[in-house]
Amino acid sequence: MAPNALDPEAPVRRPRRWWVRWLLPARKAGHWLNGVVEEIQRLTAFTLITLVTAVQKWSLAPRVIHPLIREQIYRAGVGLLPLVCVLGFGLGFVIIGQVLVLLTQGGQSPKLFSLIIGPVIIREVAPLAATLVVLMRVGTAMVTELGMARATGEVEALEALGIDPIHILVVPRVIGLTVSVFALTMYLAVVSLMGGYLMGFVRGSSLSLNDYFGSIVSALTWIDFPLLGLKTLLLGAINSLVICYQGLAEPLRLEQVGDATARTVAMCLVASLVLDVIFLVPNLFLVL
Amino acid sequence: MRPASIISLRDVSVAHPRDPGQALLRSVNWDVAAGDCWVVTGLQGSGKTALLETVAGLHGVMAGELRVFGQLLAEGDTATQAALRRRCGFVFEGPGRLFPGLSVLENISLPVRYHENLSPEEAMKSVTDLVTMLDLESVAGHSPGRLSRAWARRVALARALALRPDVLLLDNPLAGLDPNHVRWWRTLLAQFVAGHALFGGVPRTVLIASDELRSLLPLGRRFAVARDGCFLELGDRHAVETSADPLVQDLLNEED
Repeated sequence: MAPNALDPEAPVRRPRRWWVRWLLPARKAGHWLNGVVEEIQRLTAFTLITLVTAVQKWSLAPRVIHPLIREQIYRAGVGLLPLVCVLGFGLGFVIIGQVLVLLTQGGQSPKLFSLIIGPVIIREVAPLAATLVVLMRVGTAMVTELGMARATGEVEALEALGIDPIHILVVPRVIGLTVSVFALTMYLAVVSLMGGYLMGFVRGSSLSLNDYFGSIVSALTWIDFPLLGLKTLLLGAINSLVICYQGLAEPLRLEQVGDATARTVAMCLVASLVLDVIFLVPNLFLVL
Repeated sequence: MRPASIISLRDVSVAHPRDPGQALLRSVNWDVAAGDCWVVTGLQGSGKTALLETVAGLHGVMAGELRVFGQLLAEGDTATQAALRRRCGFVFEGPGRLFPGLSVLENISLPVRYHENLSPEEAMKSVTDLVTMLDLESVAGHSPGRLSRAWARRVALARALALRPDVLLLDNPLAGLDPNHVRWWRTLLAQFVAGHALFGGVPRTVLIASDELRSLLPLGRRFAVARDGCFLELGDRHAVETSADPLVQDLLNEED
């Protein structure tokens, strides 16, 4: 290549070899992967700090922290119960009811229904739906308020008063959201199954209430219940940690709070789906 | 003979709060004795606030050694830092970074509630004298959003005093206040330095970072200026008034 006419001192650029072009996407993918790994590392460190703080400071200021935990349970759990009930009933009415009616009309036995719908609703749909409701209604608001607290210097104000921000801002939210997701999942599962039966009843299904719930229970094994409990607790904990991490961990400016909220939703969705897939493995083994 | 230092900085580099890799002040050597009233002045962005926040343990030092009450403030030693922070009350600039979700009274009583594990009623009772002393009864039930900047800063002072700290750090306390409020602050701070009844008559150490110098001349006992990345001790009021430093003269004559 000819030297730069305007600046003869400038280093001469060599032409790119043809195969370098093919490496560019790989390099971009590498950067992206590196970013993901770093984010997971930071989130893990944040999780460990939160865990250590929760354990070490469990007996510190219970008259401040316990009301805050109750407030979060009320906000994310009790406050969302009507919405979760409506959603659960609607899901049951539309999905379970239609499947039940179609199977019954098609002359299939209730056993087939129980094998399909019961496990799907209880193991998969209810935990994910409850998590999504909490994430959309409370999680996004939480990222915004934590991000604002970070951006306006409230976190430093807490530190200046000798108050650990993780203890007062993160621990109550993580416990509150975890308990709420667990409880809402249970309510959602029961209400959606009830909605499904009602739809079947309205459409003239011959299945009795006893047969309906009996067939669902028979499709589940004892291990389903601890797995469901563990899964919902982990879904709540992971989502709440991501929410608090995105709101608090990095110094934010006011204009970055919106981006942090959008990032949180994406990160929580991916984390929830990954956890769902992980929990699918024992279920597959149970079926086989 | 000067009393022993309760805050001591040796060759400290003060980092930018938003960019920890950038030093705002280098090689700061500073000794603050118990009962001193220091005024650190300088232009905006000179590092006064960062210096104060570093002394309060809100940021780690980039280099050097910072001792508060004889204890080394090492970065990462959160337990020591938290214990020391309780002995240092910090009043932030502007509206004082109050917690918007809490009322004025809840803001003031939060540190007492947290550290002494009190119920809201007990904590509020314990700060009643403070609320009365700072004339905050009329706004006690208000949300911080309803307060003017001057009153919000007064609430921030009450919150910083709730734990009865040994050292009071104030960032630009008189900025943007009307003459009445300025007079009120000067009188109260002078009482703290002389020994206020709230602290059993024991003088408190007061560190003030301020863009203004003239309004704090009667209050400060010792003065320093932050300039071009350096921290320069000026001395007492007389030394400031006779200083030939153009920046000090600018700051002194600014309000003329």
